[in-house]
Amino acid sequence: DDKEEGKEAMQQWEDDWDDDDVNDDFSLQLRKELESNSEKK
Amino acid sequence: IETARFFDFEEFPKRDQVTYMYYTGRLEVYNENFLAADQKLTYALKNCNPRSEANIRMILKYLIPVKLSVGILPATSLLQQYNLVEYINVVQALKSGDLRLLRHALQEHEDRFLRSGVYLVLEKLELQVYQRLLKKIYIIQKARDPSKAHQIKLEVLVKALKWLEKDMDVDEVECMVAILIYKNLIKGYFAHKSKVVVLSKQDPFPKLSGKPVNS
Repeated sequence: DDKEEGKEAMQQWEDDWDDDDVNDDFSLQLRKELESNSEKK
Repeated sequence: IETARFFDFEEFPKRDQVTYMYYTGRLEVYNENFLAADQKLTYALKNCNPRSEANIRMILKYLIPVKLSVGILPATSLLQQYNLVEYINVVQALKSGDLRLLRHALQEHEDRFLRSGVYLVLEKLELQVYQRLLKKIYIIQKARDPSKAHQIKLEVLVKALKWLEKDMDVDEVECMVAILIYKNLIKGYFAHKSKVVVLSKQDPFPKLSGKPVNS
């Protein structure tokens, strides 16, 4: 089935990845960081 | 005398067409014509010998940075399949808005990216990562207080950037946001005196979806 490899490579792209999800590790840490900032003020 | 005749591209053997598109596509990458580069390298990928994994990998080495520049991300499975794992963290940085991760990913594989000549292209992804970071801050603010979410204090950005080991003062951050607005990665304006960016209520973070960043 390797005949399809080039075509298959064409299908593995995401153009709609820009979601509103903020539950990944980075966002959770960012939130913590921002919240600690507002407490200081 | 026989006059030069125009050859139809389609008349040439497929493999020559693919080679031509690969090299002219690479040239377009260096000239930062990302739309033309995308089109040519995509043609090469679609039409190359599907059994030649090495060729597919060569094409992807250039097509991936081009696609990233226009806001389209390769699946992790693709990167693993063709051993282009140096892109995994670059993609992750774009998705998360993690500037530190982008910087580290570029540093870690600097040699490889410089050798293939895509380093400068990848460096410019920083703007998209800034956009993503601002969007994350906006969403986080919105969850806390929807009425004020579209106002982002520059001070908040300074702190977030400091956390990401990027030391910028308020003026520098304002300048960076101005560039994002100019490049249409953010829609909004400054309330200069109060040091706040006011985001547009409509589509404040326009998606690239295949279009290059304004230059």
